[in-house]
Order: sequence, then C-alpha cells, then structure tokens
Amino acid sequence: MALVQQIQLQGGSGARGSARRIAGSPALRLVGRRLLAAIPVLIGVTFLTFVVMSALPNNTAQAILGLNASPSAVAALNHTLGLDQPFWQRYWHWLVNVLHGNLGTTVNGSSVNSELATHLPVTLELLAYSLVVSLLLAIIVAVLAARRPNGVVDRLSLTVSMIGLSAAPYAFAFLLIVVFAVKLNWFPVISGSLGSTPLSFLKATTLPACAIGFPLFAVYTRLLRADLVEQMQREDYIVTAKAKGVPPWQVLIRHALRNSMFTLITVVGLNLGTLIGAVAIIETIFTVPGIGQDLLNGIQNHDVPLIEGIVLVFALMTVLGNLLADLMYAVLDPRIRYGSSNS
Amino acid sequence: MSEALLEVADLRVAFATAGREVRAVDGVSFSVRPGVTLAIIGESGSGKTVSCRAIMGLLPEGTIISGSARLRGRELLGLSDSELRRHRGSEMAMVFQDPARSLNPTMRVGVQIAEAIRTHRKVSKREAQAQSIELLRLVRIPAAERRFHEYPHQLSGGMRQRVMIAIALACRPRLLIADEATTALDVTTQAQIMELMLELQQELDMALIMISHDLGLAASYADEVIVMYAGKVVEQAPAGRLFGAGGAVRMRYTRALLDAIPHLERPAHTLLPVVSGRPPDPSALPPGCSFAPRCQYAADDCRTKAPVLAEHAPGHSWACWHPCENGGTA
Amino acid sequence: MAVPIPDATLATPTPPPLPSLVSSRRLRTQRLGRALRLWVPAGFLILVLAMCFLWPMVYTLPSPTNGNIVNASLPPFSPGHWLGTDQVGVDIFSQIVYGGRVAFEVSVATTVIGMVIGCALGVLAGYFGGWVDAVISRVLDILIAFPALVLALVIAEGLGPSEFHVILALAVFSIPAFGRVSRGATLVVRGLPYMTAARLSGTRGWRIIVRHVLPNIMPGIVTFSLLGIGVVIILEGALDFLGYGIPPPGASWGAMIANGQQVLTAQPEYVLIPSIFLLITVVALNMLGDALRERWGVQ
Repeated sequence: MALVQQIQLQGGSGARGSARRIAGSPALRLVGRRLLAAIPVLIGVTFLTFVVMSALPNNTAQAILGLNASPSAVAALNHTLGLDQPFWQRYWHWLVNVLHGNLGTTVNGSSVNSELATHLPVTLELLAYSLVVSLLLAIIVAVLAARRPNGVVDRLSLTVSMIGLSAAPYAFAFLLIVVFAVKLNWFPVISGSLGSTPLSFLKATTLPACAIGFPLFAVYTRLLRADLVEQMQREDYIVTAKAKGVPPWQVLIRHALRNSMFTLITVVGLNLGTLIGAVAIIETIFTVPGIGQDLLNGIQNHDVPLIEGIVLVFALMTVLGNLLADLMYAVLDPRIRYGSSNS
Repeated sequence: MSEALLEVADLRVAFATAGREVRAVDGVSFSVRPGVTLAIIGESGSGKTVSCRAIMGLLPEGTIISGSARLRGRELLGLSDSELRRHRGSEMAMVFQDPARSLNPTMRVGVQIAEAIRTHRKVSKREAQAQSIELLRLVRIPAAERRFHEYPHQLSGGMRQRVMIAIALACRPRLLIADEATTALDVTTQAQIMELMLELQQELDMALIMISHDLGLAASYADEVIVMYAGKVVEQAPAGRLFGAGGAVRMRYTRALLDAIPHLERPAHTLLPVVSGRPPDPSALPPGCSFAPRCQYAADDCRTKAPVLAEHAPGHSWACWHPCENGGTA
Repeated sequence: MAVPIPDATLATPTPPPLPSLVSSRRLRTQRLGRALRLWVPAGFLILVLAMCFLWPMVYTLPSPTNGNIVNASLPPFSPGHWLGTDQVGVDIFSQIVYGGRVAFEVSVATTVIGMVIGCALGVLAGYFGGWVDAVISRVLDILIAFPALVLALVIAEGLGPSEFHVILALAVFSIPAFGRVSRGATLVVRGLPYMTAARLSGTRGWRIIVRHVLPNIMPGIVTFSLLGIGVVIILEGALDFLGYGIPPPGASWGAMIANGQQVLTAQPEYVLIPSIFLLITVVALNMLGDALRERWGVQ
C-alpha cells in the first residue's frame, strides 16, 4: 500500500521502475536544487528592473494625464497609483501580489494578467514555430553537411549559417517582406490577428518565424555540424562502429547524432532567454499581437507593472530553459541516470 | 603450412596535415597464416597502428595509400569503402586500445554487439540479441543476459574489453587485429585478456595480429615478431629466435629496446641504458637509416644510405648495416 | 655499459626530397585557403574602418543629418552623392560613413568594458572558486537573465537616448557574457598539471593569474570579443531602429533602416544599403574570429 502511494507521488503516470529510479537518483535532486537556485535569480532580475525603473525620471502620471495637466493633478494621480512610495515598498507589494497570482494593473487600467493571457500565447506559438522549424532544418542540414566535411553541402551550409549568424533579424525581416510578401505575394505584409484556422495562422506567422528562426538555425547548424564532425574524426567509438562494417550514414545517425543531441538541447535551452529582444522587434515589424509589442508600449508609457510582468515571464523562460537543459542531461544521459559502475 | 591469410607488400601511407606531408608508413611487408600470432612492436609513431588501419580501411579520407594487402588472395587496397565494408567486421576485425572510449557511452552494450551481427547478417532483432548473449558468454562474462542491457560505464575495464572482443568476433572473422588491446588494463587483467584471445584464436582458427610496444607481451604470446621504426620494418623473425636464451637480435634498435627492459639480475643503482632522443618527425625523415641519430654504433654509411630489409638468416630479416653479433652488444 | 649518448638533434642537413605521395597542389590549396580566410575579412574590416574614420578627414562629405529637400531621392552615382539621397534629401553615403562610426564606437567601447570587467570577474571566480565563485556566478546569472534590450530601452526612455547611454546599457549585457566565457576558460586552465606545479612551487596567486592564466585564456577571449563586437553592432542597430539609440537626426544604420521602412516597396534600396553594410561587417568580424580560432587552436 505504502509503496504504491510512494510511486504515485513520485512517478505520476509513469509509475514504473523508471520513476522509482529517477526519483531516487541524483537527477531529481539536481532538478530540485536548480529550481531553488533559480528563485534568487528571478527575484534579482525583477528587483533590478524595479530599481532601474525607479531610478529613472518617472512621469507616468504625466503621460496619462497629458502635458497640460496641473502639477497637483499629477501629484494626486501619482499618489493614487502608489508611485510616490519608496521603491522597495512598491517592490514588496508587487512581489506579494505576484505570489498570489496577481501581476497588477497597467497604466491603462487593464490587468496585467489579462494582457498576458491574451498576448502571451501568441508569442509562445510564434516562438515554438520558429524553434521547431529551425531545429528540424538544422538537424537535417548538419547531418548532410557532416557526411562529407568540406564537401559541397558542408561549404554551402557554413556559408548560409555564417550569414544567418551575422544578419540582423530586423534587416532580414525586411528582406523577407520585400521578397515574399511584396514581390511574390505569398504572405501578407502585416499580420494583425492570427486568424482562427491553422492555415491563416501559418500565413500570418511564417515570415516572422523565419526572421526569428534564421539566426537560430544558423547557430544550431554550426554547433551540430561541428559536434558531429568532431565525433566522427576524434571519437574512438566511431572507429569501432566503422570497424564493424556499419555503413557511414548509420554511423553518423545512430552513433554520432545520438550523442550530439545533448549538446544541442542544452544550447536550445540556454538560448531561450536571449530571444526576447528579437521577438519584440520582429513582432513590431510584422505587427503580430504578442507580448513583444506590449513590452515596447509599456516602456513608452513607463508602465512598471506591465514591464515587470513581461520581464518576469522572460526571466522565467530563461531559467526554465537552463533547467530544461540540465534536466535533459540528467534524464537522457545514461551515465547519470544509472549512476556509476557496478561490476 | 597453410596458405597465408593476409599478405601485405610494400605498404605506404602518407597524409597531408596543415600543409605538410607526413609519411607514416614507408614500405612495410609481412604475411600472416591462420592460427599464427604475429606481434608488431614499435614505439608510438612507428606506424604500426596506421599500417593495420590502412588494411582495415579505417584511415580518414584523403590519406594516400599505396602497395598491396591481400586477404585470402583478394586485394583490399583500392576497394571502394562499400566493398571493403563487407569484409570489415566479418572477415577481419579489430579490437582497440581504450575500451572506455571505444564503446558508445549512450548505447547499451548488447545493442552494440548486435549491431555488429546485423550489419553483416540478415537476422531479426531477437535473433541478434540471442547471438549477442552467446557471444558475451563466449568471452566469459558472467550474467550475460543482464549485461546485455547495461551501459559501458557500468562495466569494469576488463569486462569492457571482453565486450570489444565479443563485438570483433561477432561474425567469426578469420583475422583479428588487437591494437594495444591490453595497454589500458592492469597487469592481471592484461594476462586474462591475452589468454582469452589466444583461446579464442585456437577455437576459431583465426590469425591474430597483436600490436604493442611491450616486448614482454610479444615474447610471451607471439609466434612471429615484426619490429617497426619510423614507418619501416627493421627486424622480422620468429619469436623464439629473438627472445629468450640464445636470442639472436640483430638490428640495433631491437637490441636497444631489449636492453632498456629492467631485469631483476641487474646490479642495483646502475644506469638503465635507455634509448635517448625521440623518433624522427615523420614529415622530415633523415636520409639514410632513420635510427642513425640515436644509435651509438652509427657509422657514415648509416647516415647516407638507408639499410634495406633483407633475409640474412633463414626466417630472420633485418635492416642494419652494422648489426649486433649473435645477440650480444658488440 | 652503454654510455648515454647526447641527445642527437634532428638538425641534420635537409634530406633530399623523397618521392612524394601527396600532391603538392593539395597542400598548397590548404595553406592558401587558410590564409585567405584570415586576411580577406581582416582586410575588409580595415577598409571599412578606414572609410568610416579616415575618409571624412580627407574628403568633405555632405552632412549626414541635414539634407535639402530639393535633393530628395536622388539615385546612386548622382554627382556629389555617391549613393544618392534618401527621401528627405540626406546623403546616403554620409549616413553610412557616420553611422558606421557610431556602430564601431559603441561596439568596441561596450566590448572593451565587458572584456575588462567581465574577465576580471570571471577569472577571479574561476581561479579562487569557493564562495567567491558562488557569489560572482550568481550575479552573472542574474545579469544574463536580464533582458538586454529591455534595459537599454528603459534607460533610453528615462534618460533620453544618447550614444553613452547605449554603451552603458549594452555593457550590462556584455559583462556577464565575458564573465562566463573567462570563468570557463580559467577553470580549464586551472586544472592543468603545470598550474598545480606553479602553485606548489609557491608562486603567489596574483602572479599565477597574470603570468599563466591570462596568457592562456587570451586567444579564446580575443576571438570571443570579435564575435561580441558583431553582436553588439546588431544590438545597437536594433536600438537605433526602435528609436531608442542615437537620437535623431543622428546618422546610424538602424535609423536608416527604420526610415527606409516607409518606402520599402517603392525604394527598397534605402533599407537594403544599410542592411548590406551591416551584414558584411558582421560577417567579416565572424569570419575573422573563426579564422583566428583556427590558427590559435582555441576550442
């Protein structure tokens, strides 16, 4: 009885030997520790944001009431909005609210929660689209390139990825617009809403996803290709596989690619947080109704709760991304999963 | 006298790295018969590993190989990789030095053995699994069914090497090449693995080539010995002729190697006669004998004319202008 | 008893060329390729730098900020305006040149600040370990999790956009990047056996850091900083594009792209020209970084 409950607590739907092993293994403890370590980071980031915003000249109330408002009206509004309190007090209030699930209200009066609820999914879908496509393409291209290092495909992939690494997403976005939207008319120039059908979603988000995904594709391809080639040239188990008579494609995919996936997943996770900048700009250019646009508007209006909410979301993404990377290692790498040798 | 299984003639291997040409192997010839153990001895960089990898076709693309290597009369050099693959792993197999790195750490041990089988035979996964477990038993690994599912890091060094041997023997090869197969193991395990390989050699009537820098190993286990230096064969003889009582080492290098082995009978606190200096840079080989810069007995002709490997005594060849007299230092 | 012979060096007279098995043509192509990959981007960067910083001193260019509406939308190769003018009459080539100045000034300044402070932090963390490492790593983690763009925008919005503010904001992003890289590199060097030897022989910490750690991590840091300059150029361009970087009417590549947005369909070259300069500058930096990495054998 107690054993079943224990497994249920630990394993959930995967309540089998694997769940027991993972729960007892260093893996879960690692995850736990990382989660704990993440909290100061989140607090640190949001706190710093607060500090910075408070340190800068602050005319939110002015912005709301307009330039002709009397100083006393501005002061009154400041007081109502609680903007005249010292920043640590405001931060504390904000933090307490957050822990209750309330992210505050924007200067426009709407709740931050609802703003995020409407716009965050859009951004997440766009990001997911970019990530998935760029990953898949990167794997295919890297494998083809690594098959013949310095061959045609390899050189081509290196050139293309060099451009991808060096191209500014905003500049590339315009190139995409000019070629695909204007000249070829395959996609709409601006998106507005995403539409309700999968097709309209794709039409609206493909160009922005390409703009975000191209640098990602470049980074992943380079990394994966380098890792694959390094393995194929340096690692002894590759020689063993070849000595067995295994055909080259199989060696590349069954042996090298399998091991490279670790590095790749780690990088994907680590890079997650750096995407915020690109996302904000791309969303603006293509007028995708995501939180990137919200962020830019919020900054213009000095809308602290909104900015804090978005910063929190992205900091969370960074932290979760790192966590995911570590977790992947812990769960997938058999050396960690099954502990040390037991002869 | 059975037919030679492997005949290598005038094998040469060169690479181009960072703009320089490196001659790793410079005219090597030997042959092996089934049931015979050949030891190839040499320092690191002597070309012993490169020669065998050239035969197996495991050198990187862009390597220049010339000469001939015939396996059962079939010429191997010059075959396309897909043709060579049919022989690799099935008729000739190799065991490598470091079993910790030679096994894929993220793949189960049994699957790696099964891969060797399924590459050459059309068998189902289950059948391959059964055969792999049999192979694990063949190499004397206890609890074979359990070990099948384990990962390399869960096994000890000696067991990993046994797994490597199991992989090599998966398709009953005629030729087994052991490239420093015991170097990374401790002494007791070394002996066990060598014994195992010799037993299996008898059982399967294989030819065994053991590559090593350890003369002691060669003396204990080999039937024939080849000594390599700077890409060339410098001495070749049956093991009995070289080692032990009445050993007749001729080439100065081999003599120096033997002298450098510490013996219990040596008087204490005497200098060990090590061979000073280093092997020559294979991209800048000196003219004449490659060993001349390090040889005490080098004379002018040694430095200008490269000695040729020739059979000066029955079954015993060497390449030296001023060889030792009858095994002693002279 | 054998007398140890002196270490016979390999300085024998050059041997006669052995019959070569490897085609010398292949060797020469290898060497040529490596040289090209280094000097072509380096040369290009020198050209661009000369164009942006030296050329205006030699030859007076039309103003990059003020233009005569009369001269609006002149095509490239018009007299006096090599690349033409934009829709309000400002010379495009001048904008490229002065915009380039800004791009390099900001990116180099940011990178240098990042390198100095970031490496100091990273090396200290990596070398001393313990609580020093814990504290510094925590700080770096926070800084890295910080959305760089947000900070830059916030500062620009609050204090007003200026080149200095941009450098400040981007430095916050650059420091932890260098911190992480230098910490990692220091950890690698620290584990080397000769480092233990140095410590055992009594060398003081500072001397070890300066004489052993720093020279070893320098190649990696330098190549990383080249890539970093490229990244900052793009980021700076993003800020200018959004209007939070160099205050208008100051010339900058990002602002040119933003202005060109409006006439994108009719005259795409207003967006294309600065984009191309942006692209090839960063490509050159990346290629140079790669080539140096190849030559210096950095991981």
